[in-house]
Amino acid sequence: MAKKSKADSGGNREIRGVDLVEVERLLAFMEKHALEEFEYEREGVRIRLKKAPAQGAGAIRLVSAADISRAEEAHAAPVKPGGAARGAAAGSPSSELHLIKSPIVGTYYAAPSPGADPFVNRGSRVEPGQVLCIIEAMKLMNEIESDVAGEIVETFVENGSPVEYGQPLFGIRPQAKK
Amino acid sequence: MFRKILIANRGEIALRVLSACKELGIATVAVYSEADRHSLHVRFADEAICIGPPRSSESYLNIPQVISAAEVANVDAIHPGYGFLSENANFAEVCEASHITFIGPSPTLIRMMGEKDRARAEMGAAGLPIIPGSDGVVPDEDSAKKVAAEIGLPVMIKAAEGGGGRGMRIVRTKRELIPAFLTARAEAEQAFGSPNVYIEKLIENPRHIEFQVMGDKHGNVIHLGERECSIQRRHQKLLEESPSTAVDSPTRERIGRQVVEALRKVGYSNAGTVEFLRDSSGDLYFIEMNARIQVEHPVTELVTQVDLVKTQIRVAAGERLEDAVGSFEPHGHAIECRINAEDPDTFVPSPGHITTFRVPGGPGIRVDTAAYADAVIPPYYDSLVAKLIAHGRDREEAIARMQCALDGFVIEGIKTTIPLHKRILADPDFVAGKFDTHFLEHMAPVEAK
Repeated sequence: MAKKSKADSGGNREIRGVDLVEVERLLAFMEKHALEEFEYEREGVRIRLKKAPAQGAGAIRLVSAADISRAEEAHAAPVKPGGAARGAAAGSPSSELHLIKSPIVGTYYAAPSPGADPFVNRGSRVEPGQVLCIIEAMKLMNEIESDVAGEIVETFVENGSPVEYGQPLFGIRPQAKK
Repeated sequence: MFRKILIANRGEIALRVLSACKELGIATVAVYSEADRHSLHVRFADEAICIGPPRSSESYLNIPQVISAAEVANVDAIHPGYGFLSENANFAEVCEASHITFIGPSPTLIRMMGEKDRARAEMGAAGLPIIPGSDGVVPDEDSAKKVAAEIGLPVMIKAAEGGGGRGMRIVRTKRELIPAFLTARAEAEQAFGSPNVYIEKLIENPRHIEFQVMGDKHGNVIHLGERECSIQRRHQKLLEESPSTAVDSPTRERIGRQVVEALRKVGYSNAGTVEFLRDSSGDLYFIEMNARIQVEHPVTELVTQVDLVKTQIRVAAGERLEDAVGSFEPHGHAIECRINAEDPDTFVPSPGHITTFRVPGGPGIRVDTAAYADAVIPPYYDSLVAKLIAHGRDREEAIARMQCALDGFVIEGIKTTIPLHKRILADPDFVAGKFDTHFLEHMAPVEAK
C-alpha cells in the first residue's frame, strides 16, 4: 500500500501539495477573464499568479489572438516545477524536491531492524520501488517505497518518531533512471 | 479515570467531547483529515494527528488509521462521537483488542441494536411495545388475510429484502388487501429478486418520540426523559424538544420504566436513545435504538442539567451511575434547531467560506458549533454548522428565546436553514404543539416575493 500515486505524464505531479494541473487550469481561467493577477488559497496552500505588465500599460487595449498565444507561452513557464513552486511555496531552497509523504499514521523506522544500517541516507541514489523506510502501524511493518528515481537530499523524520498522514519523510531530487 | 482520550470525530461533537475531557482533567488527542486542518477541535486538542485525505472513508472511517493514531499517541480510550464509527461493532472490538476502552456500549449490544429486525425482536421479548406485525415473511394470501385481521387495518405491506418504497403498499380496506399483497410481491421480486413481504400496522401521522438512556458497567440503567423529534425532512431531524407536548406523566413513567427494564435485561451500558412512534391514540411503539450519544443530546442536558458526555466518560471508566449522575430533577423546556449549511427552501447543500459568524447569547441560550468567521465548511461531510438550543421555564419561554436567538444569529457567506427555523417557530400548529412527522410537508409555503 505504502506508495504515493505514481506520476503520469503531466498529470498527477505534485509539489508540496500544489496540483500542477490545477495551476494550468487557473492560468487558463485568468486568460479567459483577462485577469492581471489572481490569488487563491485552499487547504493551507496559497497560489498567486501575476501577469507581466502589458506593454503600453494604463490603457485597456484590444488584444489580438497572437498576443494571447504569446502571453500563454510566457505563462506556461511557471508551470514548470521550479517556477510554480516559487509562486506557491514562497521560495524555499528545496522547492524542486519530490517529497515522499507518509500515507499512514504510525512510527517511523529508518532501518529494517534495530541496530541495522538505515535503508537510505542523504546522498543515496534510489530507484522507483526501492524501500526507503518502515512505518509501523498496529503491529504491522509497512514498507514505504520511492515512486521516483533520484537522490535523497533531505530526511525529515528521526528514527522512532511518530508520523501522521501526509507528513514529509524524504526529499528526493529526481533524476533520470539509470 | 482515563489519562488521555482520542476523539474519533470532527466538527461540533469533537469540540463537545473535548470540553467534557478538559473538565475531567483528561488529555485530548484530535484526529483530522486534510480538509479539517484548520478546525477548532484540532486547534484546541492537546495533540492532533492527521489521519488521511478529505474523504471520510479514507480518514474518519479508516479504522487502521484511527487505531494507529491512538497507539502512537498512547491513549487510554476513544470517544467515537456520533455517526462515523460510533455504531461500528467491529471498530469497538478492534479497540478492545488493542486494549483501548471504547466509550460506548459493548460490541454485542452495538451489533444487536444495529440489526433493526433483531433489535425489534429483542426489545419486544424484553417487554417494550413494538409495532404489531407479521412474524416475519407472509407467505400466502390466506396468511395475509389472517395477519391483517389480527393487526387491524390500515396496514403497510413491505418488501423483506429492500426498501426505498418498492414492494411497499398501504392497505386501508379489506378489498384492497389481496390485490395489494400480490402487486407488492411482484414488485419486490422485480426490484430485489425476492417476492417476500411482511405486514405491519400502519402508524398514520406518527410523532417521533425518543427516550434518552444511560447505563453503567454494573448493570444499572436510567432514563432521562423523552425528546420529541417529529419536525423532520426526509427522515432528517431539523428541530427537537423536551419534554414532548404529546407525552403525559403517566405515559412517561410507564414507558420509561419499560425501557429501563428492557435495557437492564439485555445488559446495556453507556449512552443510548430508544426511539418510538406515537400513534394518534397516544400509544408508543418501539422502532429502533441508537447505541450512541446523539446530535440532540443538549436538549436533555438543559432540562436535566446532567452532562451526558461527561457521564459517558465516567461510566466507561467504571463509575457507577449513582456517582456519575447522582440525582436530577427535570425542569423547564428546551428546544434545539439544527442549523445546516443548506438552502432553506431547496435544501441544496451550501458549503463554502463563512464571512460573518455572530453567535447569539443571553439567558437560556446554548450554541454548540465548530464554525467561526473565516472558517470553511467543507463539502465532504454533513452540513451541520451549529446547534442552537434554547431553554426556558416553560415551552412558551423556550420558543420566545429561540425566536430571539435565531434573529440574532448572523451567518453570512453560506446559506443556512435559519430562515426555515424561524418559520417553524412562528407556525401556529407548532406553537400549539399540534404536529406529526408530516409537519414540514404541510407547513404553509413561503409567500411569493
